[in-house]
Amino acid sequence: MNKEARLKATINQKLTETGERERLKELLRAKLTECGWKDQMKAQCKEVIKEKGLEHVTVEDLVVEITPKGRALVPDSVKKELLQRIRAFLTQHAS
Amino acid sequence: MYYKPDAVTTMSPAGCPHVNGFKVDNWKQNLRLIYQCFVWSGSAETRKRKAKSCICHMCGTHLNRLHSCLYCVFFACFAKKHIHEHAKSKRHNLAIDLLYGGIYCFMCQDYIYDKEMEQIAKEEQRKAWKMQVLDFDFDSCVGIGEKYSTWEPTKKELELLRHNPKRRRITSNCTIGLRGLINLGNTCFMNCIVQALTHTPLLRDFFLSDRHKCEMQSNSCLVCEMSQLFQEFYSGHRSPHVPFRLLHLVWTHARHLAGYEQQDAHEFLIAALDVLHRHCKDDNGKKANNPNHCNCIIDQIFTGGLQSDVTCQVCHGVSTTIDPFWDISLDLPGSSTPFWPLSPGGEVSVLNGESHSTGATTLMDCLRRFTRPEHLGSSAKIKCSGCHSYQESTKQLTMKKLPIVACFHLKRFEHSAKLRRKITTYVSFPLELDMTPFMASSKESRMNGQYQQTVDPFNNDNKYSLFAVVNHQGTLESGHYTTFIRQHKDQWFKCDDAIITKASIKDVLDSEGYLLFYHKQFLEYE
Repeated sequence: MNKEARLKATINQKLTETGERERLKELLRAKLTECGWKDQMKAQCKEVIKEKGLEHVTVEDLVVEITPKGRALVPDSVKKELLQRIRAFLTQHAS
Repeated sequence: MYYKPDAVTTMSPAGCPHVNGFKVDNWKQNLRLIYQCFVWSGSAETRKRKAKSCICHMCGTHLNRLHSCLYCVFFACFAKKHIHEHAKSKRHNLAIDLLYGGIYCFMCQDYIYDKEMEQIAKEEQRKAWKMQVLDFDFDSCVGIGEKYSTWEPTKKELELLRHNPKRRRITSNCTIGLRGLINLGNTCFMNCIVQALTHTPLLRDFFLSDRHKCEMQSNSCLVCEMSQLFQEFYSGHRSPHVPFRLLHLVWTHARHLAGYEQQDAHEFLIAALDVLHRHCKDDNGKKANNPNHCNCIIDQIFTGGLQSDVTCQVCHGVSTTIDPFWDISLDLPGSSTPFWPLSPGGEVSVLNGESHSTGATTLMDCLRRFTRPEHLGSSAKIKCSGCHSYQESTKQLTMKKLPIVACFHLKRFEHSAKLRRKITTYVSFPLELDMTPFMASSKESRMNGQYQQTVDPFNNDNKYSLFAVVNHQGTLESGHYTTFIRQHKDQWFKCDDAIITKASIKDVLDSEGYLLFYHKQFLEYE
């Protein structure tokens, strides 16, 4: 594993240990619901299901189709806020 | 391009046949353990273990949709198909998604829905959540609160729904919630407020979901009566309601409003909120952390915090107090208190009721005036704790905390020693209002030299929408109150005692305006 990957892993460990990861997840969930992103994704999922047919569609189909769209539609303000929270957390727990 | 061996093509709630191989011996306990340790880790101990051990055994990543094999201790990622390789080579055909707890069957090549397993998953998730609320972490003791879960009817509820097949469908043009109120003798001052309250969304939701659990022994609980009122309004009956019980309770609890003469609607609003607040006191089931701070529905919706800063003109020390408020009373041009000039430190002279503005006064003008620094004058010196003597000072009001519902009271009724009259100056008010310039935090930014405050389009905390307007027609001696209320997103109705008519947005915005009710556009999670 290269240095960057190791750093990512360490940060993830710290976030998980302290429970901050869960809190951030919930914050993200709330923000994405508020701004309507969740509803947009729901609508997209419905489209995919219509396309593939209810009897044949798998979770994997949805993941493959929705993921790129989902990533692109996250508002910058939400990204900014999460980044700020993570930075603040890292500053607090720097060692 | 998916190769599917004889896969079960339809996922049913009965799960898949391959799960039976797993459901042997102590499988329930084992599954619970996996959820507790690796999916929803509630305690600090399990979190530490999860942080250390949950990485892909093949590529070491902690991302890429990690899964855990259900048959052995093996973690691998889904995206790079590492878990698939394990499943194939070891013939372990079940794995669990460590992010969401879903169970994947490699034979069916999809996530499965097994009632028993889902039950376990739900319980473990709830447990972990509860633990996180109580867990006092190093520096942050902020819990996440109770997790939102979608409603699933119980057996009893399904039975009730089957036995009561009549359904009411809310479409965009349905008028449920609209009902007239009979005037019992100059009671329009009460009727107009009831219309505004029954159309306050959060209040409506509180009462329609039966959240009031009465602790009063007598029959005179105003909150219970309010609850009844909501039932009447949303019953679908179109005939006007006769609010005699409400009137009687108001007379009992607010004696100054008793009698058949016309009262002030604003006074009734404050009295009603006060009685509701007192009767609600221990209502919401949660233990208030601070015994002095009530957490009743009235406080949650209507209470804001008004900051008053008194600055000593000599040492520039600031003394700050914050007082709760349910409404903001705004002076109008044309009253005997001077409206102009707006700039601080100007000569205070009594203009005989004439406003020097060109164009109509706006609500924003009134708010600007309300929050302007006011020189208190040499006859009103304040004892300064910095100077230890009486000094001249300036006072400024700003909003520290905004309520969810903001009520603006335009002071149209003048009751000074010399005269009693109604000020009919037209004040224009907007459909959408941004309170940011009047916040205490904005004032601080301005004082720190940040004059160019770029309006942050993503900050929605201070944005409000108009949803009710109470108007007074006539004179001080004989007048009549009516209310405009908003239904759905942009439909307005005029409530004139027993008569409800459709109104246009123009009708609403052109009206004189006495009490203006605004609702926060975006609600923050606590």
